[in-house]
Amino acid sequence: MYLFEYQAKALMREKGIPVLEGIVATSEQRALDAARELGEGPWVIKAQIHAGGRAEGRVCDSEHLRGIEFTDTVLEVGRTAARLLGENLVTPQTTRQGETINAVYIEPEIRAELQVFLAILIDGDRGEPVCLASVKGGSQVERDIFDDPNSLVRVSLGAADHIGLDVGQDVAAQLGLRSSVRDAFAQLVQQLHALFVDRDLSLIEINPLAIRANDSLVALDARVTVDDNALYRQPAMAALASRTDRSEAEERAAKNGFNFIRLDGDVGTFSSGAGLAMATLDAVSHLGGRPANFLDVPPVLEVSRVKEAFLLILSDPGIKSLIVNVFGAGIMRCDTIADGLLLAHLEQPVTIPLVMRLAGTNAPLAISRLERSGLSLQFAPDLASGAQMVVEGADRRPATHNADSIAGRLAQWLSGRNPGSSS
Amino acid sequence: MSILVDRTTRVICQGITGRQGTFHCERALASGTRIVGGVRQGKGGATHLGVPVFDTVSEAMQATQANASVIFVPPANAAEAIIEAVDAEMGLVVCVTERIPVLDMVRVRAHLKGSNTVLVGPNSPGLAVPGIGTLGIMPQGIFLPGAIGIVSRSSTLTYEAVDQTTRNGLGQSACIGIGADPVGGISASRCLELFMNDDRTQGVVLIGEVGGTAEENAAAFLSTLTNPKPVVAYIAGQTVPEGRRMGHAGTIIHYGMGTARTKIEALREAGVRVVSSPAEIGTAMAGCLDQ
Repeated sequence: MYLFEYQAKALMREKGIPVLEGIVATSEQRALDAARELGEGPWVIKAQIHAGGRAEGRVCDSEHLRGIEFTDTVLEVGRTAARLLGENLVTPQTTRQGETINAVYIEPEIRAELQVFLAILIDGDRGEPVCLASVKGGSQVERDIFDDPNSLVRVSLGAADHIGLDVGQDVAAQLGLRSSVRDAFAQLVQQLHALFVDRDLSLIEINPLAIRANDSLVALDARVTVDDNALYRQPAMAALASRTDRSEAEERAAKNGFNFIRLDGDVGTFSSGAGLAMATLDAVSHLGGRPANFLDVPPVLEVSRVKEAFLLILSDPGIKSLIVNVFGAGIMRCDTIADGLLLAHLEQPVTIPLVMRLAGTNAPLAISRLERSGLSLQFAPDLASGAQMVVEGADRRPATHNADSIAGRLAQWLSGRNPGSSS
Repeated sequence: MSILVDRTTRVICQGITGRQGTFHCERALASGTRIVGGVRQGKGGATHLGVPVFDTVSEAMQATQANASVIFVPPANAAEAIIEAVDAEMGLVVCVTERIPVLDMVRVRAHLKGSNTVLVGPNSPGLAVPGIGTLGIMPQGIFLPGAIGIVSRSSTLTYEAVDQTTRNGLGQSACIGIGADPVGGISASRCLELFMNDDRTQGVVLIGEVGGTAEENAAAFLSTLTNPKPVVAYIAGQTVPEGRRMGHAGTIIHYGMGTARTKIEALREAGVRVVSSPAEIGTAMAGCLDQ
């Protein structure tokens, strides 16, 4: 789960990590008031989205407007907020569709003598948190580190709940920070690690951390990702979850525990298991078909939920054919799928070509039930022939390969699915 | 030689009395897997599915001489269950549980250091050695004892690869679902190593997914071998472009790895036959063995 910058900074403030005073605004008027409350300016106005790279990001349809803007006058703060709010911001870290700006965060602008990149995340290979840092902080940090890999400091943090100040001292020394700031820096690393562990985070990143001429440190940006699997024991984090980026259909799917993403093709897909669902999309796309959705139904016993999943797919008016690709295993049995489909058919008659690829637990039972139902179906012995049938069924259009739209949204879901494994 | 389990393997199930544990142990027993007991704190002394239930793993091991455990414990307690099995010096632990918090798995990994326990999973369908048994949730009836080793990060696609290698008559020497979590037990590379050293295995199928670096690491391992057995790979999510990224750090830590493209390139460079559709896994494997 991703947090907005202002939420991440509130967490940091609680832990004693130095951040600036800032105010969230969702309207031009509130932005104007915020600027006045924060003092004399200049100010920085920052789009609140669930991704970084905002200084490099562009607001759609605008040549000049970026996700982070600097201004000198109160009036300009309001005007900039008004131009940002409600727009879509596309950055190197978002999908191509970008993310809608529903709030801006206003802070005083400060001068930094040195900008440090500092992050803690899970190193999957070593199986423990790792601290990454570089003195090449700022919006170009990725390029700068790729150009000069030696500028990246990487220190494993071990599996313990606490780290000593020596860890941060080590990072500071490797960065070559001047001795007068090392104690404060070491304390900051310790505080970040404590926050990471206490709140079950999978990423905490400050870019940049400003090191000022007077030796003070301040986090100018903050990016936090919470481990979705730990939300059950982090109710405060779960409460911060934003549902604004979900469509109505996705909301309905989420209520039923499905992973569902509407895509803009015409071949409906129904699978159980994320890998098989992805493979179904791959197989359909491979033959020039355009998937209408991604759907991964987790193993369920209740026929009613399977019915809901079918109704959800069939509610798309643009759908021209549908492939059901299920490998029954564990508690997911093929007859549950068949019964769910038949119930859905009673509520909303299925008129489009329907291809069933059923294998594994209770597949023969499911197939015999469907055959007796009178529903017009094609049975595919394997995924390859099933994909062929469903693409032909959709009356395949000239191949406009649509990998882009398949998706940003699918990828977005994927990246949220495995928050520790950054893709 | 056999992969991870053989005829001497005696299995207990942690969480045997739960719905999932009951369902899968019942099927495993019916197919001949030697499940000799179960663990559920507070239910020690009971009998479930015809096998004795114990309060702790060490009691179960003492009474049954079990040397493998399969875990069906809810996510909040799963890490403790794994650690209990490691502390009891269980040889093989298969954890099916999904959605375990990653920091819990960090503790588990720290605990595994210096132990002799092999952990498969979590978030894994388990492992199967056709003709001997299944530990986990893989469906019965799709396997054929044979020559292909399968290692997979994706549960459902594992069955796809099994199905295809059964249909074309190659069969499987073993099938290991390593799970797709960022921090897990046995790595894809280690599984490849087991298969490379296994007399019965003639070829290996590797099923990966976008994200993480398991496939790149596997490619690096294969590059160190002279004349390895043929490997066919499929990476799920090839039609998925990069989505919302995890800050700058997520990119920097992997240094241009982790995408479908980087995985496919790395594997091809290591001599792996990478197929672009999951439907081609079986025929590609057969083709490699014919050469």
